[in-house]
Amino acid sequence: MADTTILSELSDQLAAAVEHAALSTVLVSARRRIPASGIAWDATTVLTADHVIEQDEGIVVVGPDGASHDATVAGRDPGSDLAILRVSGAALTPAERAPDDSYHVGSLALAVGRPSEEGPMASFGIVSAINGPWRTRRGHRLANYLRSDTTFYPGFSGGPLVDALGRVIGMNSSRLGRGAGLTIPLAAAAPVIADLMSRGRVRRAYLGVSSQVVPLPSALAAHLGGQQSGLLVVMVEPGSPAEAGGLLVGDILARAGDIPLTDTESLQLQLTADRVGVPFTLSILRGGAPRDIAITPADRE
Amino acid sequence: MTTAVAPPPAPGTAVDDAGGHLARLLRATLVSVFDNGSAGAGTPWSNTLVVTNNHVVGGSAPQLVLPDGAVAASEVVFRDEAADLVLLRTSVALPRPLRTRLDPLHAGELVFAIGHPWGERGVLTAGIALAPGGPVQADGRFSPVRADLRLAPGNSGGPLTDAAGQLVGINSMIIGGAGVAIPAAVVAEFVARATAGTPEAGYDR
Repeated sequence: MADTTILSELSDQLAAAVEHAALSTVLVSARRRIPASGIAWDATTVLTADHVIEQDEGIVVVGPDGASHDATVAGRDPGSDLAILRVSGAALTPAERAPDDSYHVGSLALAVGRPSEEGPMASFGIVSAINGPWRTRRGHRLANYLRSDTTFYPGFSGGPLVDALGRVIGMNSSRLGRGAGLTIPLAAAAPVIADLMSRGRVRRAYLGVSSQVVPLPSALAAHLGGQQSGLLVVMVEPGSPAEAGGLLVGDILARAGDIPLTDTESLQLQLTADRVGVPFTLSILRGGAPRDIAITPADRE
Repeated sequence: MTTAVAPPPAPGTAVDDAGGHLARLLRATLVSVFDNGSAGAGTPWSNTLVVTNNHVVGGSAPQLVLPDGAVAASEVVFRDEAADLVLLRTSVALPRPLRTRLDPLHAGELVFAIGHPWGERGVLTAGIALAPGGPVQADGRFSPVRADLRLAPGNSGGPLTDAAGQLVGINSMIIGGAGVAIPAAVVAEFVARATAGTPEAGYDR
């Protein structure tokens, strides 16, 4: 005879997953209205959403044990909506991380939040999509991002999306994704977190050009082994690495090192934070003739 | 001769089967309440008493529709406007009530609502508990059960249960997309007050 034992077992497992995640989910009070959530990254560090921090002073983190701690912003990045808080006098339990290959579209997921001191709250759903790479509206490139059909209730931003074992898949943000909310997987957040913890902000490599895709006439394409398009420089920023390297309006960017530049995304993909200060060769066409330009991306302050 | 042992069903299939079983269990207890054009759900509490939301019943003699389709008259016994509860009495044999669970839910536990959302009878929706809710305090107030659960107006007055089909609350409203229910402990206290000194007092649940 059918019974509901398996439902009770699933229910117990979900409650246990919430309880486990709650051990490293904190309350973050950094704005006048409803508090938000945060993920304990180590004993004294909390990962939260940049957009929930609306004040510089008086930031308070409340741990799962109910103890309040003063906190300061160690680093923040509006582009990725990530921020790191340093919490004084705390001994937080670091979150357990879900292995990057352990979840897929269709996996059960819980969004966990701690927007009040009454205890953790959770909503339930599945991983709906894992996409990427993606450029946020504020210019940060996320290696990938995740959508779930969990509901982000007020104050859930900064909290974790966890799997059925309560392990953290990523950090929830109601602000990203054109207001529909999404989750930044921990692997995608890791480079930003590293930058925020070591230098308080995220480096952004830039050249200082605006360009648009142009098709290459066959004579020019022949110079480039048959490449069909390149990037026509339409603006060079004063004082930029592009200007320092001698780029001119009208130049056609063809290759960055060995990488063909067939659209603007292919140039952007080369400008990762680790490229700041690292020179590379831009192969260009100037007046129809090929030449190489040495260029060094700078940090966009 | 050996008999092949069938492998256990995949978890998803087992969950589907259990969900279907729970749906049948809950539909067998669900009552509809009609009063002057307003309709909601009702939760049997004893063989003669039904609990529903006060806001579902404007008059004094709402009609009940039982799971088998039979229509029964009822009368209002007691109202608690603040708690949004009303107790109805009928002389028709009601379906056996769900077992009541008085200890609080844990965040993340599965919860199920049965009612008439979107005007359809006997619809099951599922979700998880957001906040457990608590008993009535000295000032008469209580924390409601909040659930990450899709409810619609036709769920009012119907039962909220846990994964074992035990009553944990009476669904009463929707706030910010979350379902809100009156905790079972609060409903039990309400019924005790409403039936003090009457033959129905102390009905063993």
